[in-house]
Amino acid sequence: MKMCQTSRGRVAVDIPTVLARWLLGAVFLYMGLSKALHPVDFLKLLRQYDLTQSPLLLNSMAVSLPWFEVFCGLLLLAGIAVRGTALTLLFMLAPFTILVLHRALLLQSALAIPFCAVKFDCGCGSGTEFICRKLLENFLLVLLSSWLLSGHGRQLSLRFNLIKSL
Amino acid sequence: MKDNPIQSGDARCLIAVGKVFREAAFVAVIGAAFAFAANQISPLGLALTRDYFPAGTASPVRLAGGGTNSGPVSPAQLLAEQMKEKGLQLMDGRQAAQFFHDPRFKKDIIVFIDARDEDRYQQGHIPGAYEFDPYRPEKYFDAVLPACQKAEQIVVYCNGGDCDDSESAAILLRDVGIPNKNLFVFGGGIAEWTTNNLPVETGARNSGNLHNPDK
Repeated sequence: MKMCQTSRGRVAVDIPTVLARWLLGAVFLYMGLSKALHPVDFLKLLRQYDLTQSPLLLNSMAVSLPWFEVFCGLLLLAGIAVRGTALTLLFMLAPFTILVLHRALLLQSALAIPFCAVKFDCGCGSGTEFICRKLLENFLLVLLSSWLLSGHGRQLSLRFNLIKSL
Repeated sequence: MKDNPIQSGDARCLIAVGKVFREAAFVAVIGAAFAFAANQISPLGLALTRDYFPAGTASPVRLAGGGTNSGPVSPAQLLAEQMKEKGLQLMDGRQAAQFFHDPRFKKDIIVFIDARDEDRYQQGHIPGAYEFDPYRPEKYFDAVLPACQKAEQIVVYCNGGDCDDSESAAILLRDVGIPNKNLFVFGGGIAEWTTNNLPVETGARNSGNLHNPDK
């Protein structure tokens, strides 16, 4: 998937690659804003994971995660520090997917229902969803992030590498 | 010319990986600064040091299980258990309705406090109930505190089910000096109220926009 010269010498853009980066950026922008605009709701959802008993830590997570997603989404849309952003997103996606999975297993056990019938609002910004669908979505986001991390999505980027000669 | 070991394939790969990690760290630091700044600027922003859950940061819906054979515990049972631990009094729908029809309600000796957010309050609340979002209490103290100080019985409610915002609101009121004996938490909340076909008021308090499902 590379930029190529056409017979007339024009530079052709690898549309799927650019769209993939924009898609990932748009998803994070949307999910981040949907949480940032309802911070109390997100705080309550985050609380369900029982991550900490400290109000300061809980509030800090509730405050930072949505806007951080917005920031990463904007970087990807603009094509700035794409690989570093993709790596950061992977570091966020992996533990949260594990947390969501853990909570889903607890719910499944408590409600005695099939795993894929478990439905709850994980605080991911997409509302109440069936767990299997949520896990599939997260898997796709991980795949897209990994793809960008491997160096794709350079075209139409403002500054693909923030650090020179990357 | 000698071979430069730095230029070998593995070394270059390591350098590139290191640079990606440095870039990620840079994104993380700037992103975190952006996030906290955005929260500060946003009118919806949260206060970092405030305890939004005075009843405890643990989730209100603790899951049953862990090897007992008692079966799933309902959110209502959990709420009752939690409130007992915190010294709050639970009230059921029948008692809430009795309080609503009590002549003392008209004299503000009994007051209802709606502990949901503004949007939900506007969509429908118990007629005459005061709006008191425990996540933005400073906005409502001026109206709510004098009413609670005057009242002998204060019924606090939220959505019902596993909602524990009424509990948070009751604890906040207790913390600012409202006697605990006067505070009652209506666990079933607005969900039970409407299920029992009792009237609701839309818009502002005492707007007169009453909706009675019976009529």
